[in-house]
Amino acid sequence: MNFRTLITALFLLPALLVQAQEISFQALVDRNEIATGEALKLTIELTNASSAGNINAPDLGGLAVLQGPMQSSNFSSINGRISRSSSISWYLTATRPGTYTIGAATVRVGGGVLQTEPLTIKVTQGASSSGTSAAAEQAQKRDPNLFCTITLNKNKAYVGEQIIATYTLYSRYNSLRSLESEMPKLNGFWAEDVELEGNWEPELRTVNGLRYRVATLKRQVLIPLHSGTLTLAPMTLSYLVNASIFNSGTTVTIQSGATEVNVKELPPGKPADFIGAVGDLQLEVKTANTEVKANEAIDLNIRFSGRANLKLVDAPTLNLPPGFDSYDPKIDDQITVNSSGMSGRREFQYLLIPRHEGTYDLGALSFSYFDPSSGTYKQLRSGEITFHVKPGDGGTATNGAPAKVDVQRLGSDIRYIRTGDLDLQPKGKHLFGSLAYVLGMIAPPLLLLLFFLWKRKRDAWAGDADLQRRHGADRAARQRLALAAKALEKDDREAFHDALGKALEGYFADKFNLGVAEVNAAMIHQHLDAMDEGRTANELIAMIADAQMARFAPVEGKPRKQAYEEARAIIHRIETRHGK
Amino acid sequence: MRRPTLLALLLAALPVFASGDARQLVQQAEQAYANGDHKLALALYDSAHATSTSAGLLYNIGNCYSKLGDVPHAILYYERALRLSPGAEDVQANLDLERTRLVDRVSQLPGFTLGSAWDRLRGGKDVDQWARRSLWACAIMALAAAGGLATRKPGLRRALYGVAAAAAVATVTSTALAAYRVQEATTSSEAIIMAPSAEILGEPRKGATRLFILHQGTKVGLMGTEGDWREVRLANGSVGWMPAAQIEEI
Repeated sequence: MNFRTLITALFLLPALLVQAQEISFQALVDRNEIATGEALKLTIELTNASSAGNINAPDLGGLAVLQGPMQSSNFSSINGRISRSSSISWYLTATRPGTYTIGAATVRVGGGVLQTEPLTIKVTQGASSSGTSAAAEQAQKRDPNLFCTITLNKNKAYVGEQIIATYTLYSRYNSLRSLESEMPKLNGFWAEDVELEGNWEPELRTVNGLRYRVATLKRQVLIPLHSGTLTLAPMTLSYLVNASIFNSGTTVTIQSGATEVNVKELPPGKPADFIGAVGDLQLEVKTANTEVKANEAIDLNIRFSGRANLKLVDAPTLNLPPGFDSYDPKIDDQITVNSSGMSGRREFQYLLIPRHEGTYDLGALSFSYFDPSSGTYKQLRSGEITFHVKPGDGGTATNGAPAKVDVQRLGSDIRYIRTGDLDLQPKGKHLFGSLAYVLGMIAPPLLLLLFFLWKRKRDAWAGDADLQRRHGADRAARQRLALAAKALEKDDREAFHDALGKALEGYFADKFNLGVAEVNAAMIHQHLDAMDEGRTANELIAMIADAQMARFAPVEGKPRKQAYEEARAIIHRIETRHGK
Repeated sequence: MRRPTLLALLLAALPVFASGDARQLVQQAEQAYANGDHKLALALYDSAHATSTSAGLLYNIGNCYSKLGDVPHAILYYERALRLSPGAEDVQANLDLERTRLVDRVSQLPGFTLGSAWDRLRGGKDVDQWARRSLWACAIMALAAAGGLATRKPGLRRALYGVAAAAAVATVTSTALAAYRVQEATTSSEAIIMAPSAEILGEPRKGATRLFILHQGTKVGLMGTEGDWREVRLANGSVGWMPAAQIEEI
């Protein structure tokens, strides 16, 4: 009996002893719900069958075999009871989501046939994008055991838009040692490495039915700096594989494919206040102190925050009123770069120093950025900013007078429009030559001529003394008797006679330069006798006496109208005779 | 009191104002210009200009064109405003600024301009200025003469006759100036080149000898007309022909 026979005998011994053990035959899966591309392990296990035929593999219901069948068997002896089991296992996967049924496996044991229960596996859509697997499938063709890919989250981008590049290593080797790695040179990109979260834990992924251990070597945020088709050169990696204590291993050098990005120029119509940011931004403008003294510093902080190429945002130029000194802004960054890109904030801290007192209105600051998701420029506006600068102390105040500054010419512009109603005139109409103008020019000389003619006539009339005297006498009589005429109209006896008498006395006194008290019969005779042998004098004396009488006694010698007419006639007569 | 009443009536009837419509347009345009919407302001001023005109309106239209960057039109309207109101300071200032943006530099003949004294003398804010003055002078002459006739005081009479004589001279002078201003404002003898560049030819036909090239915004004097061709004269005395479509009369 040689050694081999002995071994065989030792193996067979327990089999003879376990006749009475219970036989089981079952199908097990490590999980019954997977995502596409993930793997599940199917195990068909036969226990305690002393003599069994081959296990017939079940119908896998459309699931793909990644690995297997793998056979194993073991014996165990617990408390003197020996058990024996054999199993077949597969790693299975699915490329399309759906529900899969694993059919029954059968085995012939003794005289009978055992079979397993069918299993139902649910497959959901896997997370790995088709782009990733396409690149991986491409790379797999070069070397199915070890390859690497560079994948981008987008192949088309605007200048300044963030692209995330992922460098991935796929390996089917158990042992790998990195020897050399050459990352692609990035021409035309601003690159920012992403801190990889977690450990360097490889995950399992399936490509074309092959299982790989996959490691993310590096992740980068790439920002294209100019338009056109930009190419990422392939990366080259060298690994020592299959090295162990028994094996010195082999060196494998792999190379990824080249990757292209189509970079579009920002659309035309770039606003003047564009700050070079592409992404999604918010603005916050803070001024710590808006009321300062001259020559004191003002802090003006302009903060851009959000997800954008913040590190490429330039300091905005402030349109400061003259009389302000400003220094280059201090840049305060809090920018994180992670797998979803660059985000955080960039703050420009300006220090402004007003040199003269006054109120300075900066207006609202406005900045524009480009939003690649909508493909348009968007404007951010701050609130209105006004600085009140009070007179400073010290500084130039040593001699009491401010330093004189020449008036600076800052620019030239046309003068402002005229306001108001602009003296609008109907088109094509001019005053000169119009009817109004002709009338206006003719009228004054014409009126002058009329005036001249009238004047001449009047002068001629003035030369006729008799006519003029008569005219004057009449007017004098009417004027004197105005009160009497009024009383006559009112039918007031007493007032009428009073006025009539006073009028006659007054007239006589005025005519001959006498006081009213001096008027008496003798005086009247003295002045009027020369006229017509005393007739007028007698008449006047009688008239005055009548008037005085009639005033107090209700007797009237003649009707009032007649008395009035007679008084008028006598004044007229005296006036005609004694005119100027 | 008969005479002054009649005169006042006549004078009151003289300024014939434009319709309220145009005034409203002008107000809206002013608002638009103040808001920086020069395009709208230009459109509004233009529609006001369809019925009315004034030096101020033309000046404002020129300003709109200037803000919109249309140099030749701005110059055209400033020149038109100056024709209605020679020597207007703001118009002249803007025209000078606008001229710095021209391509052509044409030296002027000596004595071509009589200078601003003559501008100031005949200028004023509108064409009718001297016509109004002649009316006043005529009225003053008549009044002074009438006063001289009426007064009995020999000293006053002499003085009034003196005033009347001076007013008569003023009437004649201002009437002459009024006639000149209307003639100046209604007949155009100058034009602005509107084409970006224009060839001045020796004869009024295509293919004639090219004499020189002018650019937009340059002012030329107008002389003869031959079909669609105009004979133009430059400030330096050069004369040539160009298509009428390339220029716009001031």
